[in-house]
Amino acid sequence: MKRQLLSGAFLLAFLLTAPAAETPRELKPFGRGSWQDILRSHAGRPTIVHFWGVTCGPCKVELPLLGQFMRDHSAIDMVTISADLVPDLPGAARSMLEKSGLAPAENWIFSDGFVERLRFEIDPAWQGDIPRTKLISREGAITTIEGSAEMKELEKWFDQQLAMRR
Amino acid sequence: MIDVPKRSGKAKFRGKVLATLAFALWQSTAYGQMNHQHASEAACEETNLRCASKVTPAFGPDGKLWLTWMAGGQVSVASSKDGGRSYSAPVLVTKERLNLDSGPDARPKITVDHNGGIALAFAIFKDKAFNGQVLYTRSADGGKSFAELRPITSSNESQRFEALALDGDGTVFAAWLDKRNRVPAQQRGQKYDGAGLFFASSNDGGATYSESLLAQDNTCECCRLGLAFAGPGRPVVVFRKIFEGGVRDHAIVTFSDPAMPGEVHRVSWDDWQIAACPHHGPSLSISAAGTYHVAWYTNGKVRKGLFYARSRDGGKTFSAPVPIGRPDRNPTRPYVIAGPREAAMVWKEFDGEKTTVNLMTSRDDGATWSSPKAISSTTDTSDHPLLISDGRRSYLSWMTKADGYRIQPIVEEP
Repeated sequence: MKRQLLSGAFLLAFLLTAPAAETPRELKPFGRGSWQDILRSHAGRPTIVHFWGVTCGPCKVELPLLGQFMRDHSAIDMVTISADLVPDLPGAARSMLEKSGLAPAENWIFSDGFVERLRFEIDPAWQGDIPRTKLISREGAITTIEGSAEMKELEKWFDQQLAMRR
Repeated sequence: MIDVPKRSGKAKFRGKVLATLAFALWQSTAYGQMNHQHASEAACEETNLRCASKVTPAFGPDGKLWLTWMAGGQVSVASSKDGGRSYSAPVLVTKERLNLDSGPDARPKITVDHNGGIALAFAIFKDKAFNGQVLYTRSADGGKSFAELRPITSSNESQRFEALALDGDGTVFAAWLDKRNRVPAQQRGQKYDGAGLFFASSNDGGATYSESLLAQDNTCECCRLGLAFAGPGRPVVVFRKIFEGGVRDHAIVTFSDPAMPGEVHRVSWDDWQIAACPHHGPSLSISAAGTYHVAWYTNGKVRKGLFYARSRDGGKTFSAPVPIGRPDRNPTRPYVIAGPREAAMVWKEFDGEKTTVNLMTSRDDGATWSSPKAISSTTDTSDHPLLISDGRRSYLSWMTKADGYRIQPIVEEP
């Protein structure tokens, strides 16, 4: 009986804490220092960091392409950062990520209204245009693609990363 | 020494169950908080001026300062008779919290005519896909009350980034970015980039607007418009256009009358080819001498940063672009005004911790400019700096999260 009750409590705990199967992973709050955290945690691994926003037309077109790219290239770390500032954003952002197949990626969302400072930490010259993609090599070299990225360009970069590994 | 009484087996078990549930609830709450967390540009969540993220000013004919602002999901209006030291009780223009367009270049717009009539417009996100809708209203009783909100056009497609300006005869001219031509073009198998520049005007002080008409297709869909009058009945709009090859440079159109857009001319060849939302539109002001002053941001192949140029032939040609601000301080959000005493230009710079508003003035209608000078600063997020004139002098209008709203006279630089 005791074992059953305890099992029940653990099951309830699991149900309360685990996101539902269809819910994308939680969005990580992107604040001061998050950019350096991302660089550190992916050091030595080829990583794509994609900045986007729910109100950005070109982003809506590009996001599913990135989702497909992620599925086709499991060796790449895929990071997305929602850089829009609109109310009730997390729900809309999660929904778009899920529809684009990017729910399994490492997904962040700007969580500090002082966006100038967040952007400054990432790139002092960035004025907030989205989409924007950063390709980070194993050696930490960063290539910035302004605007929508061509998937061919990402393929080429990925092949270079593979070649360097050999 | 204090003995801790040993707990019974039952008590231990109950403790384990409670601890497990408590942990679960804590985890659940923390997860929920994280997922409801969002960045706020506002200092507070109420509807008053202190909580505003965007504030737009206008002077009335009697010198009264009028403000409209977005705060707490609503749009409000108040006025000041003493140059911004004190304000009237705010009047809510909206009846309920709305999903206001809170994009970086969105803000409510206001004009005050010679009779004290107020025309006001702003945009909302009308659906989960963040399609926009421009709503307008009017006050005929000096801002005591506002008419029911109405969409500025019957089109159900997305409209954002409205601009309002008042002609000398009281006509209110409105322009906005509108996506209605997108789907029909795609149905014809044609590619359609961006949005369309649409316009309408009101001859009854903003109570009703004419049928909306197209001025230009393929504008950038996410940048504010610059709007001014070149003379009676001749509105001028500067906008980021999508040129051949996806180049998002600036263009300008001067109307021959409020229903007749003229030829579109290019302001500059920056060659910013980008499939993105720059969220960074231009600024336009026209002097009494008819000089067009334009300031803008680009990240093109030819030039990067903020730039200023002027036209003395009605917007057909522009002077060589002049860079604005310190390139190492990420200059942003330029605003220009041809005031009664001098032309003035402000913009923001950021050093990693502090944002400053910088000023340059010109005594020769934009031919030469003073050295830049910081005139205001803040250490948290802030609205775009704006300039307005009461007919005697110009003022900086700037909303900041940390320090609230400020309006300060522009002091001419030597």
